[in-house]
Amino acid sequence: MSGERRISEAELHAFVDGELLGTEVAEVEAALATAPEDLRVARAIANLNDRLTQHYAHVLQEPVPVGMAALAARAGRRRRWAPAQVRAVSIAALLLAAAAGYAAGALGRGEGGRQPAFVASAFSAHQVFVPEVRHPVEVGAAEEKHLVQWLTRRLGTEVRAPELNAHGWKLVGGRLLPDRDQAAAQFMYEDATGRRLTLYVRKEAGLTDAAFRFAERGDCAAFYWIDRSRAYALAGRLDRTELMQLASSIHAQLGGLNPGQG
Amino acid sequence: MRVTSRRDAVAAEIPRLRRYARALLGDSSEADDLIQDTLERALARLGQWRDGDNPRKWLFSILHNLHVDGLRRRSRRPPHVGLDSLGPEQSAPAADGASGGDLDRALQLLTADQREVVLLVGLEGLSYAETAEVLSIPIGTVMSRLARGRDRLRTLLAYDLEKEAEHAGLRRVK
Repeated sequence: MSGERRISEAELHAFVDGELLGTEVAEVEAALATAPEDLRVARAIANLNDRLTQHYAHVLQEPVPVGMAALAARAGRRRRWAPAQVRAVSIAALLLAAAAGYAAGALGRGEGGRQPAFVASAFSAHQVFVPEVRHPVEVGAAEEKHLVQWLTRRLGTEVRAPELNAHGWKLVGGRLLPDRDQAAAQFMYEDATGRRLTLYVRKEAGLTDAAFRFAERGDCAAFYWIDRSRAYALAGRLDRTELMQLASSIHAQLGGLNPGQG
Repeated sequence: MRVTSRRDAVAAEIPRLRRYARALLGDSSEADDLIQDTLERALARLGQWRDGDNPRKWLFSILHNLHVDGLRRRSRRPPHVGLDSLGPEQSAPAADGASGGDLDRALQLLTADQREVVLLVGLEGLSYAETAEVLSIPIGTVMSRLARGRDRLRTLLAYDLEKEAEHAGLRRVK
């Protein structure tokens, strides 16, 4: 068949590992639609990564042996930020978010405006709340059931906090946010080293489903997608492959939710 | 960066270093010995850490070099039979069921070169470029080892669509 694009083996691995650039991703996605065998292999590779992550997840939760901890801690304690520093960082983040939001809005009206508006909202919400020490979330993970029911009611579409423990990330909690004239939700996760990750969710009845897209703002990266009238953006200061793994896991977990028209 | 914050950055990586070493060596006490050596060497060389260097990449490089040294030493010695390899399954989590041991064993059947790449990319989420730097090999070599290693792993695990479906189904129910 002429004109049909063949996917090389190396490309297939690179696709799964999040190594391809935007246009290449779209090309491989399109080619996979007509290449069931390649699709099967891609899924198998992704599953292998997932299986490795799940199988060794318990090591991340094990207490660090005393000898190792002592070795690394020999000079000085773990640094805690003083409240004044935290405040300064929060305000800086707020200003940064406001400036970046403005820039993104301006871009959105111009040429490169293909990124949906919710992505900029997700980045801003990430940058504002992630540095928070005392109030990172409105409702904590201890009240997850209540949190999810509340957000589902306010967003007008079923939402759920995906389970990322197997990847070493614990749910911190979530909050309700305004996004244009609608409600949006943010779930926050934290790993053993204190890094934070946010999942932004919003009802998007007007947009058709879309596969993963990658976006960056400063040193923060995000994968965003639209699944059954719900827009998701997973943001964090993580490398692309790690973020992609988490996004895939979330996508798989939330695929079973009721269609978003509600 | 001050020495204290460098030490903190090193300490923060310990859980990930242990996870990688455990998967790489398939034996928890050997893995922890390797991490102990890695930390000692890293802390002795904090001065060589250039500002802006990614701590994870730097530590994985040190770990890799020590691992290679260990392999060389061992090839000159009779094979080591640790207590762990004689006992039942070491500390595999019960939740993973029977398939857990299969994955450990299958990984140990890859060549050390393949295992490193499969784990650095698939488990640790390093990019191809970072993996190439950590192992001091070209990116092309990373890609070919990755493809061969994953191929072999899939064959060893007889990974088929039904198992994948089952796996996905189990996760969704949880």
